[in-house]
Amino acid sequence: MSAARPILLSLAIAAALTPQPAGAAPSDAEFFESKIRPLLTAHCMECHGEEKQKGGLRLDSRAGWTKGGESGPALVPGNVQASLLLKAVHYLDPNLQMPPKRRLSDAQVGDLEQWVRRGAPDPRAEATTTRPKQTGLTLEQGRKFWSYLPVKAQSVPAVKDATWPRGEVDRFLLTRMETRSVRPSGDADRATLARRVFYDLTGLPPTPEQLAAFVDDPAPDAYPRLVDSLLASPQFGERWGRHWLDVARYAESLTLRGFILKDAWRYRDYVIDAFNDDRPYDQFVREQIAGDLLPHTTRAQRERQMVATTFLALGNTNLEEQDKQQLVMDVVDEQLDTLGKTFLAQTIGCARCHDHKFDPIPTADYYALAGILKNTRTLEHSNVSKWIEVPLPVDPSEEKVLKDHDAAVAVLQARIKAARDREKVAAKPTPRTGGALDPATLPGVVVDDTQAKRVGDWTASRFSGRFIGEGYLHDGAAGKGKRTLTFLPELPHAGRYEVRLAYVPGRNRAAAVPVTVFSADGEKLLTINQQEDPPLDGRFIILGVFRFELNGQGFVIVSNDSEGHVVADAVQFLPVDVKDTPAKPAVGASPAPPARAGADPTAEIKALEAELKQLQSRGPQRPTCLSVREEEKIADARVHVRGSVHNLGALVPRGFLQVASAGPAASLPAGQSGRLELAQWMTRNDNPLTARVMVNRTWHWIFGAGLVRTTDNFGTTGERPSHPELLDHLAARFMQQGWSVKKLVRELVMSRAYQLSSAAAPALLRADPENRLFARASRRRLDAESLRDTLLLLGGNLAGQRGGPTLRPDTAADYAYRHDDTRRSVYAPVLRNALPDLFEVFDFADPSVATGARNTSTASTQALFMLNHPFVRQQAAAAAGRTLGLPAADSAQRVRRAWLAALAREPSKAEAALAARRLAEAGADPAQLREAWTQIWHALVASVDFRHVN
Amino acid sequence: MSKDRHRVFAPVLWTRRGALEAAACGFGSMALSGLAAEPAGAMAHPLEPKRPHHPARAKRVIFLFMQGGVSHVDSFDHKPLLTERDGQMFDFDDARKIANSGKREATSQRVMKPLWKFGRHGQSGRWGSDLFPEMCRHVDEMTFIHSLRTEGIAHGPATLFLHCGATQFIRPSMGSWVTYGLGTENENLPGFVSISPSSGNGGPRNFGNAFLPAIYQGTALGKAGAPAGEAVIRHLSSSGSAAQRRQFELLQALNAEQLKRTPGESELEAVASSYELAWRMQHRAPEVFDLSAESGATRALYGIGDPKTDNFGRQCLLARRLCESGVRYIQVTYGDNSANPAWDQHSNLPKHKDHARAVDKPIAGLLQDLKARGLLEDTIVWWGGEFGRTPYAEKNGTGRDHNAGGFTVWLAGGGLRKGHAHGATDEWGHKAVEDKMHMHDLHATILHLLGLDHEHLTFRYSGRNFRLTDVHGRVVRELLA
Repeated sequence: MSAARPILLSLAIAAALTPQPAGAAPSDAEFFESKIRPLLTAHCMECHGEEKQKGGLRLDSRAGWTKGGESGPALVPGNVQASLLLKAVHYLDPNLQMPPKRRLSDAQVGDLEQWVRRGAPDPRAEATTTRPKQTGLTLEQGRKFWSYLPVKAQSVPAVKDATWPRGEVDRFLLTRMETRSVRPSGDADRATLARRVFYDLTGLPPTPEQLAAFVDDPAPDAYPRLVDSLLASPQFGERWGRHWLDVARYAESLTLRGFILKDAWRYRDYVIDAFNDDRPYDQFVREQIAGDLLPHTTRAQRERQMVATTFLALGNTNLEEQDKQQLVMDVVDEQLDTLGKTFLAQTIGCARCHDHKFDPIPTADYYALAGILKNTRTLEHSNVSKWIEVPLPVDPSEEKVLKDHDAAVAVLQARIKAARDREKVAAKPTPRTGGALDPATLPGVVVDDTQAKRVGDWTASRFSGRFIGEGYLHDGAAGKGKRTLTFLPELPHAGRYEVRLAYVPGRNRAAAVPVTVFSADGEKLLTINQQEDPPLDGRFIILGVFRFELNGQGFVIVSNDSEGHVVADAVQFLPVDVKDTPAKPAVGASPAPPARAGADPTAEIKALEAELKQLQSRGPQRPTCLSVREEEKIADARVHVRGSVHNLGALVPRGFLQVASAGPAASLPAGQSGRLELAQWMTRNDNPLTARVMVNRTWHWIFGAGLVRTTDNFGTTGERPSHPELLDHLAARFMQQGWSVKKLVRELVMSRAYQLSSAAAPALLRADPENRLFARASRRRLDAESLRDTLLLLGGNLAGQRGGPTLRPDTAADYAYRHDDTRRSVYAPVLRNALPDLFEVFDFADPSVATGARNTSTASTQALFMLNHPFVRQQAAAAAGRTLGLPAADSAQRVRRAWLAALAREPSKAEAALAARRLAEAGADPAQLREAWTQIWHALVASVDFRHVN
Repeated sequence: MSKDRHRVFAPVLWTRRGALEAAACGFGSMALSGLAAEPAGAMAHPLEPKRPHHPARAKRVIFLFMQGGVSHVDSFDHKPLLTERDGQMFDFDDARKIANSGKREATSQRVMKPLWKFGRHGQSGRWGSDLFPEMCRHVDEMTFIHSLRTEGIAHGPATLFLHCGATQFIRPSMGSWVTYGLGTENENLPGFVSISPSSGNGGPRNFGNAFLPAIYQGTALGKAGAPAGEAVIRHLSSSGSAAQRRQFELLQALNAEQLKRTPGESELEAVASSYELAWRMQHRAPEVFDLSAESGATRALYGIGDPKTDNFGRQCLLARRLCESGVRYIQVTYGDNSANPAWDQHSNLPKHKDHARAVDKPIAGLLQDLKARGLLEDTIVWWGGEFGRTPYAEKNGTGRDHNAGGFTVWLAGGGLRKGHAHGATDEWGHKAVEDKMHMHDLHATILHLLGLDHEHLTFRYSGRNFRLTDVHGRVVRELLA
């Protein structure tokens, strides 16, 4: 409470208690007209009148305030205490202050109180005008909306031209083209088709050999065989896994402080494997939502299911939010938003503060779902909250190794402790190292008490005779809570440091000295008992290991807010990574000069500690994954009125989206979160959304635009399906065929529609400019990953390694991360503060939000990148080297091969002539020739044909 | 530089397909969105200047971001009580505790007096301290807001809120909204640039387009902590060598051949023409970035040459040149990449002086220069941080903690009252009490000055219309001239 507050408050109370002089009291009506009506009009009506009713409250009639708003009645006539409005005008509750702009004067507050005590006489009639509230569909109306209707098996339509279709998909498409009198384009040539299907299924182009093998294969089943081989290749999972990572907002770091999610890669590998193994999609969904709760028979299955739940924990959360109730709900909201978009293509988040304005999702549904997720813990809360790392199960043999390791560590720790205890015993009563230690002889950075910034009186002392530097400081056990010492180091480099406090112990010392360490990871408060001997050499106590930046914002504050004498001698900052300080090692590496012997433990302890450190850094690490935990206490959630965590409404039983649920509401088990049931509800065959949404996503990833183009929004504000029957047909079949994504992909790429040319007759273009009929192939831009992978491939630099962690292990934060990996792009660390340049420029999905359909932009930054970025130039030069290295080829053959590798087609005459002219300019000089080829390759990979898939 | 020179737009860069795909992923295309201001033609470039909602008082913004939180009680919010009660313990509302518990809690804190002497300045007699002697010479141009409040007690949330109007969610930043609403006046330069942005506390999200089309993303020039000379457009190479020209000609000859194979494909044409634009940009932008073209007097005005002010001076001068060249929204950050950025003096408040020394003269120089060139008439200069600092010493140490409940920023330029002070904090400088103004209100007011109605500058995404001010914000007319 502000120091000024008691005065205001007492004034207010005084006003409230002052009796009105008898006889002089105006009539109720007069009082209302003279004091209250003008006040309400001037200060309240803008937001709580006819125009606006913020919080659902209007104050322009008695009925208005009697009914009240979302927080209940505004006034209780006669009862000042119980009247919310008075609480608000008193500005006592930080979450309820009205008017928001400026507190009313004390006199005005007094008038309002008097009015309420008088029984709140209000002559105003009920307002006649009420605006109709904009509301979405009712549940009943909603159930008739296309996306909430049950998926129905469709009969395959008849078509006039029975020769055109190659399968059922084609018949659904053709019948619509025929009604619109549209003729489909011709088939794509084989080379174009090969390039298209290679990119679509693997993200890579065919090599000239692969291209020739297909183009020259006369067998009628050449195409199906090609498709099957691509589906079976591990590159399929790398391509399609990346699609899924877009909708899972996958990343390996948080925007906040660049925190690294060191185990996130396991989820990336899990997703790639799931697509390669053709894991049934329903199972894939269940694993991601509730893998930790699913039964398992093998260790591998358990591990896989645990890793799948990383999905829930990938949100780009602001861990620093100090309002932890708010943070909990923000995490839940992020998860709901992602779950809703990713699996159901619903904008559930819109119902957080009010019933969904367009879709049949009442706020109650939001909190029914939020209740489930609120029972799942995603973060452990502290000043900066932290995600949860769960140990993964390991094989019995590994378990033994780990246990042995843990035991060895424990033994060493016990030996160190025993040695310390012996030392302590031996050290008493005479200290091991006497006298003063020169701070300059101590390793790391030492801030002596003489350099500390003092607040309040501190007395220098040399009484104990054992200290760092010239002496130490104490507070004389006085001025409690008013004195501090700030130890601000000048660190040589950013990084992790062990922080130690030196103090001189004694029986008259304070037993609970608050010591706060400010570091790059926030502030940490520790309490030190200065009656006890400091464990290190009787001089230092370790405060912990902290990360510091070089900005003068890392420091230690010692406060004297504790009974007894508070003492401080020095603070030492020891770099943790030994390699950083070859000259001045931390504890125990170099022979101790006599002067500093006292600061280090004895030789035995030093040796043991070195052994422990080595054991811990080299020994086996217990694998962990990013996951969630069930809360111990399971409860339903309350509606948060207008989304506020500080304004709770009715309790809502946990449950699912009503509009997408057949039958009566399921009741969830009392002792469990309900997440498992949510996962099961999502993947029931009568859930109208899940299968449709995935089928549509798959269509989008194959054809470049979905049957519903708003892939993440199947609500009323999304687009309607262009071919609803086809969507249902495919969704029904998808479920029938065991939710197999590979079968679905195969069916789509086997369709004739997929194999059409992207060229279109003018009539077709006029009739269907947006290609909603799929009567031609859509030309698509080469995406960021394919662009990068192809450049590396052409340069001969694409590394083939699959899976595993790719982030450099010493990465403390993602800022300015140097991306130097040459593996496929799906393995490039996705860092929210440091995406690879190329990803940023070429429309990579924002890793903070679920993205079903990427943007395609044409910006000059892309052109600048292609023209000037060293990466492009380097790969062009490498490709040139490979071209020139071709044995026994003339330049025409070289040109031909370059075009086949880059564009999967022969050069046109004019193109070949351009290349020939450039080569002729270079003549026979090898350096000139190499430069010419580099320029040809550079032009080739920047050309419009290369940057598109036709 | 004549304004007309910038008004030449290449045909279609934003392709029809791009717009369709944007629509497909829930991004309404220009035509579908609720934006009232519209481009001239159906297929117009999305950055083409657009008609505002109402007559504008200003055309562009320079935001001087003092990252970390400048102490308002040591700079422009004069509170004699702090000197009177220096060193005494009082109970103050503890914003961190309130945030944690949702309940009002007070802690006893030691009042710390301002470390710099306050005085009245200019004709208007506005208060300012010795921390910023140069800026104090220009108080007659400024409108002070002493009663600003914002969301987020920690840097991460508060910095995002300042830029995007939301603490947690993925939202477009203000510069993106402004370019979305107004386009830009120079197609050879980006419409929204952020000079030396920090990678911390939201990093790219602070100049990100979020769900707005990517073309409205802020272009980062350099990064916090790096020399101003590195503040250039990335991947721009203007060697002008014969080899570079030959490479470009070869590419465009190849593109021309390929376009012949598929005539009339506007998307392919757009990609080919983007290379033309990039080529022009890389030959024209360096001219804008070349500070050596400025006179010695101008450079001195910004403190260029003095090691203490050189870096920020260059950034401010670049801001003026960009502003002059038609860039719509320019942010200059004085900060760094750390979790506790520059002005964040939790301990050692005297360090404020080092930061003040680095920015004071350059900012004063910028104001004077803008005024002399007539640019201040239609440019808004906005100075401030993500929050202010407490009137008491944090943990009873030598610094001040964050204060989001009441702090000061100033605005100057187009459409603003001169030498005006709006609102007030309590007698401690702790909380806004008079004419309280929320960060949403500041956003709404700046948009208003630019001719944009914050309630109508909307974008349909994920099933609903979004705006910078969410469902809040009001135009504070008292600030308007």
